[in-house]
Amino acid sequence: MAAPSEGGSKDELKTHFGTREGTYKLMPLSEYSKPSRVAYNGQTNTPVKVSFVKSNDGNGSATDRICFNVGRELYVYVYKGVKKAVDLTKPIDKRIYKGTLPTCHDFNQHYVTSDSVLLLVGFTAGQVQLIDPIKKEISKLYNEERMIDKTKVTCIKWIPQSPNQFLVSHASGQMYVYNEELPCGLAAPHYQPFKSGEGFSIYTCKTKSTRNPLYRWIVGQGAIHEFAFSPCSVYLAIVSQDGYLRVYNYNSMEVIGTMKSYFGGLLCVSWSPDGRFIVTGGEDDLVTVWSFHERRVVCRGQGHKSWVNVVSFDFYTSCVCDDMGCDFNGSEEDYHSSRHCHTKESVQKNGSDSNRNSLDGNGLNITSYRFGSIGQDTMLCLWDLTEDIIKQSAGRSRTSISTLSNSASCLPRCNSLPNSQKRNSIGNDVSAHAEGNSNANTHQIQNAVMNATNKFATLSVADRKESQEKKEHKRNFSLASRNTDKVNMLKSNHVKPVDDSIKLLGTLSCPRLDEVPILEPLVYKKIAQERLTSLVFREECLVTACQEGLVYTWARPGKGVSFWYT
Amino acid sequence: MGANASQLEKEIGSEQFPINEHYFGLVNFGNTCYCNSVLQALYFCRSFREKVLQYKQLQKNQKKETLLTCLADLFFSIATQKKKVGTIAPKKFITRLRKENEQFDNYMQQDAHEFLNYLLNTVADLLQAEKQGTKPKNSSGDSKAKPDPTWVHDIFQGTLTNETRCLNCETVSSKDEDFLDLSVDVEQNTSITHCLIGFSNTETLCAEHKYYCEVCCSKQEAQKRMRVKKLPQILALHLKRFKYMEQLSRYIKVSYRVVFPLELRLFNTSDDACNPERMYDLVAVVVHCGSGPNRGHYISIVKSHGFWLLFDDDIVDKIEASQIEEFYGIPSDMQKNSESGYILFYQSRE
Repeated sequence: MAAPSEGGSKDELKTHFGTREGTYKLMPLSEYSKPSRVAYNGQTNTPVKVSFVKSNDGNGSATDRICFNVGRELYVYVYKGVKKAVDLTKPIDKRIYKGTLPTCHDFNQHYVTSDSVLLLVGFTAGQVQLIDPIKKEISKLYNEERMIDKTKVTCIKWIPQSPNQFLVSHASGQMYVYNEELPCGLAAPHYQPFKSGEGFSIYTCKTKSTRNPLYRWIVGQGAIHEFAFSPCSVYLAIVSQDGYLRVYNYNSMEVIGTMKSYFGGLLCVSWSPDGRFIVTGGEDDLVTVWSFHERRVVCRGQGHKSWVNVVSFDFYTSCVCDDMGCDFNGSEEDYHSSRHCHTKESVQKNGSDSNRNSLDGNGLNITSYRFGSIGQDTMLCLWDLTEDIIKQSAGRSRTSISTLSNSASCLPRCNSLPNSQKRNSIGNDVSAHAEGNSNANTHQIQNAVMNATNKFATLSVADRKESQEKKEHKRNFSLASRNTDKVNMLKSNHVKPVDDSIKLLGTLSCPRLDEVPILEPLVYKKIAQERLTSLVFREECLVTACQEGLVYTWARPGKGVSFWYT
Repeated sequence: MGANASQLEKEIGSEQFPINEHYFGLVNFGNTCYCNSVLQALYFCRSFREKVLQYKQLQKNQKKETLLTCLADLFFSIATQKKKVGTIAPKKFITRLRKENEQFDNYMQQDAHEFLNYLLNTVADLLQAEKQGTKPKNSSGDSKAKPDPTWVHDIFQGTLTNETRCLNCETVSSKDEDFLDLSVDVEQNTSITHCLIGFSNTETLCAEHKYYCEVCCSKQEAQKRMRVKKLPQILALHLKRFKYMEQLSRYIKVSYRVVFPLELRLFNTSDDACNPERMYDLVAVVVHCGSGPNRGHYISIVKSHGFWLLFDDDIVDKIEASQIEEFYGIPSDMQKNSESGYILFYQSRE
């Protein structure tokens, strides 16, 4: 394959970019957009979001479907990945709305068959719609009369543990838990206090018969921009216009930790595949990595020229064990749908590789986390969070500190790590586990990639630890019940005056610029003419969308080839 | 006018309406929106307003009319209105302005940033002259002595440190410069944060721009950068949206989308800055509407008691914070016409 020359002029859009695992290529024929392809004039500012769902059609084959919104329109197509896109004039479903625009959507990953999927759509005027884009039979409306909340829906997601419930956040700074089967009632809900804490309060509906919403959460000040459930489904991370990341135990509704942006609102949030880290992006043009276990900012990443709209961990590249390729590390999607697509990867590898693979599955060998970010600057950034960065900032007694102002900071990245060092980190991680640092790690990944070959190895490590700690594990694990965490929680509550973020400066929640390492992106490319609004990492590709309504598919290294030869 | 005023009052609600606060539109006297928009923005810079009103109290018996007394009278008049909302004609101020500076003595559209500069400098000069006991009349800059800082300086003045490194002898010389506002270049689809970083980027002085090095005693290539050493109480940021096009021999407007957050810290501070982590809150924005410097319109949006107001000459509207994004500019390079932020006022939190 002759690689076309990488972009010449400054403003030219990139069609491929290189990483240490290889070259990612834009698949021009895999582009999705409105069928007419008429450039959308972008007058409204509702971001173009992308959702996916995979249905098993029996006999081992599966169909992916994609949903995206552009202006007042919503499209659902069969998604072919890196293969040629379907005929755009033949969407599975197309809807045009009047008076209210779709802002976000989410497929139910639990109730999926080849001829039925459930899609939730949130709107600018606050309403929520539930549709089946394939069957087109059901169409339910929630908050139809806008008596629950009149403001824009900012994020909507099915609740992983409760397939009939979903969570909706609004620009008002409130979130609501709905049950898909319950009515919203004819009158405005009356609420009664249920639980509250610093910076949040939770209410239930005060009615005889259960109705929607089941709960109302009021979180922080100003709009909630995004929320994300942890891979284990227990924890909920919420980012708001007030610049705070707040992490809750969703079931016990207790604050686990908080973080404050350097300045300005936080716009987006994502969990690492093992639940160890959360990355946020915001109006300070930074991405910020926060350690869930240690409740502290690990590092900040500077590269974007404007606000960061979406951050996302790449579940498929988050563990790099050699310089040749990327190893699979389990994903949330797999976890929920119990698929084992990593076996495909294993097949491609030789015997020794797959042997090591099982080690990866235990989460013992994570030396590098990959995450991506896209921004209003039309740029895509990829970042590597390596063990040395994590350790460097943990010490807090570093001698050399890179500062932002002379942007010449050059921090070691994992691709510069010698191989032996990476191997060493296996041992390091084991010791970290022994300290009771990350029980979550083991369990999560165990669940994510559990299969016959590595199950026993996993359990042997995890079980020993469990017996040491003698803690009950309801679903997966419960960090909040651990003593150390309670102490941490009290501490973090203590240092968290919600309306005085200045005092937080210099604390673990908002360190000074020179107190934590500054990452530089390993990839920084202009890939669109317009603001980027969506970024999804998939097994064989990554998908981006921009405000104009163009959905691009970027084949991962080696994944685009099959397309050219078929 | 009356209908609009009462509607605003209704919209805010009598219980929510801040005590001792007045929202008054300013009548346009023929293309004086550049003036009205800046005056409104300054009125809602709390510390500036307080100082102007104090001045009014102290100068009750002063006979001599200056631009500052006219400004004080105008602010006092707004602050002491019986009604909470309405309109006021800043006639005396405009007349005085036109009398004092021939640049503004016409009915043409003027540059709001030039007016802001002129106003702040004039007020500072008047105050300095009063301090020195001389007549404010001949204050316009012939005194060479280092003048005492006035409250205008206390509020708006910051310091830049200009570091130049001679590429021949490697000597670094630094020179401090005071500023009342920063003028930053704008780029498409960026943030004000990025524009400020760009402002402090290292530039190489070469060819005809070579730098005279005191050590080498000759013109040398050098690297220069300017970073903020003292952060002002109110940080006024001017976005350079009017660009001179040689081919057209006129200024065109650059409508680039430049986002500005409600909360701001600076990245481009010098290593010896005294308070580099100062947290700022956006309090006012002067917005230019239209396609060029000599056509179009100025309005301002201000924050008052937690909510946002839009002042368009004599019209005052309450707006949602989420509507501020309408004033970031336009992401497409094709369109020149826009309603885009032109001067941002950030108030330090502490």
